[in-house]
Amino acid sequence: MRLAAAFRSPGHVVPGRATSLAVLAAILCAAPILAVVWIGLSGETGDYLRHLADTRLPTYLVTSAVVGLIAAGGAGLIGTGLGWLMARTEFAGRRTLGWALILPLAVPAYVAAYAWLDLSAAGGPLHAATGGLFPTIRGSWGAGLMFALVLYPYVYLLARNTFSSQSADAYNAARTLGAGPLTAFWRTSLPMARPAIAAGLALVVMESLADYGTVSHLGAPTLSIGLIRAWSGAGSLVDAARISLVLVVIAIFVFGLERAQRSRARTVNAAGRHNPAPRLQLDPGRSLLALIACLIPLALGMVIPLGRLAWLALHTDTAPGLAAASLHSLTLATITALLAAGLGLATAYALRSRTAIATLAARAAGLGYAVPGAVAAVGVIALLSGTQALLDPAWRALTGDVFPILLTATGGALVFAYLSRFAAAAISPAETALAQVTPSLDGAARTLGAGRRRRVWHIHWPLIAAGVTSAGLLVFVEVLKELPATMILRPFNYDTLAIIAHNFASDERLGEAALPSLLIPLVALLPMIFVARYLSRPDR
Amino acid sequence: MADVRTVLSIRGAERRYRADHAALAGADLDLHAGRITALLGPSGSGKSTLLRAIAGLERLEAGTICLGDTVWNDAATHVPPEARRVGMVFQDYALFPHMTALANVAFGLTGPDKQARALAQLEAAELGHKARAYPHELSGGEQQRVALARALAPQPAVVLLDEPFSGLDRRLRGELRERTVDTLRAAGTTALIVTHDAEEAMAVADELALMDGGRIIQTGPPDEVWMSPVSATAAKLLGDVEIIEASVAGGQAGTPFGPVDANGFEDGQPVWVLIRPRAFTLSLDEAAPFTVTRRRSAGPHLMHRFAGAGGEWSAQTPAPSPIREGDRVSVALDPAYVRVVSR
Repeated sequence: MRLAAAFRSPGHVVPGRATSLAVLAAILCAAPILAVVWIGLSGETGDYLRHLADTRLPTYLVTSAVVGLIAAGGAGLIGTGLGWLMARTEFAGRRTLGWALILPLAVPAYVAAYAWLDLSAAGGPLHAATGGLFPTIRGSWGAGLMFALVLYPYVYLLARNTFSSQSADAYNAARTLGAGPLTAFWRTSLPMARPAIAAGLALVVMESLADYGTVSHLGAPTLSIGLIRAWSGAGSLVDAARISLVLVVIAIFVFGLERAQRSRARTVNAAGRHNPAPRLQLDPGRSLLALIACLIPLALGMVIPLGRLAWLALHTDTAPGLAAASLHSLTLATITALLAAGLGLATAYALRSRTAIATLAARAAGLGYAVPGAVAAVGVIALLSGTQALLDPAWRALTGDVFPILLTATGGALVFAYLSRFAAAAISPAETALAQVTPSLDGAARTLGAGRRRRVWHIHWPLIAAGVTSAGLLVFVEVLKELPATMILRPFNYDTLAIIAHNFASDERLGEAALPSLLIPLVALLPMIFVARYLSRPDR
Repeated sequence: MADVRTVLSIRGAERRYRADHAALAGADLDLHAGRITALLGPSGSGKSTLLRAIAGLERLEAGTICLGDTVWNDAATHVPPEARRVGMVFQDYALFPHMTALANVAFGLTGPDKQARALAQLEAAELGHKARAYPHELSGGEQQRVALARALAPQPAVVLLDEPFSGLDRRLRGELRERTVDTLRAAGTTALIVTHDAEEAMAVADELALMDGGRIIQTGPPDEVWMSPVSATAAKLLGDVEIIEASVAGGQAGTPFGPVDANGFEDGQPVWVLIRPRAFTLSLDEAAPFTVTRRRSAGPHLMHRFAGAGGEWSAQTPAPSPIREGDRVSVALDPAYVRVVSR
């Protein structure tokens, strides 16, 4: 009763206008996906799609499945193992590694792919050093491996948090019932962490399917490749939307699966007691092994590929246009990050009101996170061309001119697509941050005479600043890395770092691709360190 | 009862969350100057909602709340909490986690000397040495004392405490309860303490208000309320009670233990007879109709459960006692602990 009362009480800082703004913006975020569904279901079937269904579609589907499975398997193993080590054991260097292990998220998978293919292909140093024994990283398994190496932090983060918040009671009960340490882990700790691991895996799978740069460089034709070809090769919006629809269905399936396996089983102690498990102090020998286990994924996902690219960059002349591309990347990422952080915060405030419309808006905005960037881009195109077709007659009647092209005239469409894809990434951190401002804190401040302005600046902001900032930084990093949506929606002659890296790499000019490829993770690293440290604070 | 000036008065307070459930269904309550009122009720009875309504954190749909001559709530008015200046101690204390104990206490103060006043308040709570500590560095009891100091610092007209001892272990609870009452008395504050613990309510209160179903069902000094509950519900709120259905005949209500005075109810009226466990006196009697079914120790006294005449009851009896399980006993009633109320 008390809790319910608190939730419904008035007097939160929820200005009505901000709520409706958040709702509007959130629904706008969902609009591109709805447009994709609408176009995909209503348009005529183009020749491309018919041709596709006859020939390539099965390949795209099978490749997508293989890439997704390998990525999930690899990331699941690395992420769960490291998560457990970090949550349940104690060894020298654990604290630093705790956040450092998140950093490979700053490396785009395609950047890792450029470096690893270059290292392992015929003529590359690894190939030469091993006499050709080291397999060349390419194809579906190569792409899956790259995703596993840079996306495992999703699983790691969620698994670590679950393992460290798990009560030791279930494990201890299993031990008293005759299970050995391994059996007890296998039958209690691991199943209790399963929902968190599954949520991480769902993210890994969707990120892998959203990727374009890696799979095109390593020759693993997933659905994303089909989508980009339908749009930029065949120029068919309907076909692109249809393939997008397939991806949306897969996304729903993947996240549905994640939800379904949670089903009715609870993974928190029903009694509500919490008895955190003590960390296992590792002896020196095992500490060394743990250290190595942590350093291997860091080396493979970050240090080795970035090192190779640095070497290449030092041995190649700098390509022109790098400064402009950097500026473009930074501008887009900054604008989107600020908007997303603002939107996330506004939505989180709206959610506090517990109104149905706010919840709907948050879920709607959340849709975007499940679908690939290319799909969001296709949706934005569909939306803008639809608007254009709708307004053109009236515009002509008024001005006698053709309605100005909305599509790619500015970076606006691009920011729209980014927001549609990444705004959801800013909502839940903002929500988590704002959850620290409990209704009773608000109430306490009010009974002590604090007006709205004072509550916001002296109570809310100090408590949420770090969370909201890291939400914005996370979006900043994602936009910096983003390739497929940027390819589809960028204004003419408007290159970003990701675009020039991709263009050079697909022209087999890896030396020139090296510096822009390297700049993305380097720029992303500082914000990522902030985010990683925020996510690894002791009180979390 | 020298000074019974009413500081705060609530009339007909109504608030519903769902169409079919009223949290407040016409609650009336007066708080008197310098007195501590305990608001006792089961969970869901609307206590916390009433408290929050007084603080202004909850809007009333109907009814009035007035502080002296100032209207805080009526059909047209809702004074926001920041303009009411009530002191409130929240159940979770709601200490600002990013501020020191001193900054927490100083939060509600203004003026150039606010740090000094906040420190004086903390020192009065014997927490001067913890002024620079953050809430998570304080023990549960210390946090509660900081929360109370913070609420009292601006010298509010009324202090509201929402289950202020619920988060503490039993031993600390009693100690902190005394300390809180002493602090409130020293400050001469008018206070309202919400609790669902009858013993606690009676220990702290000058006046007791019983709440059930969104209404105040009885008010008065604790011992008076305990001795003369107005209804079965009121009696149950204050502790174990046996409730027997009866009808009045010849100015008396019949019970399996003999007739009791009907408390002025007319003949033929349906009534409840409320019997506190301590009203029973059991005596060994081979010919009596009652049998002891259970005997257990309850600290300074014993609880005897006995059956017969179609029912089963509990008696609180002095220890030691020769009466064992299976013994047959006769039962007498002490009328001081028996009360007849309308059914």
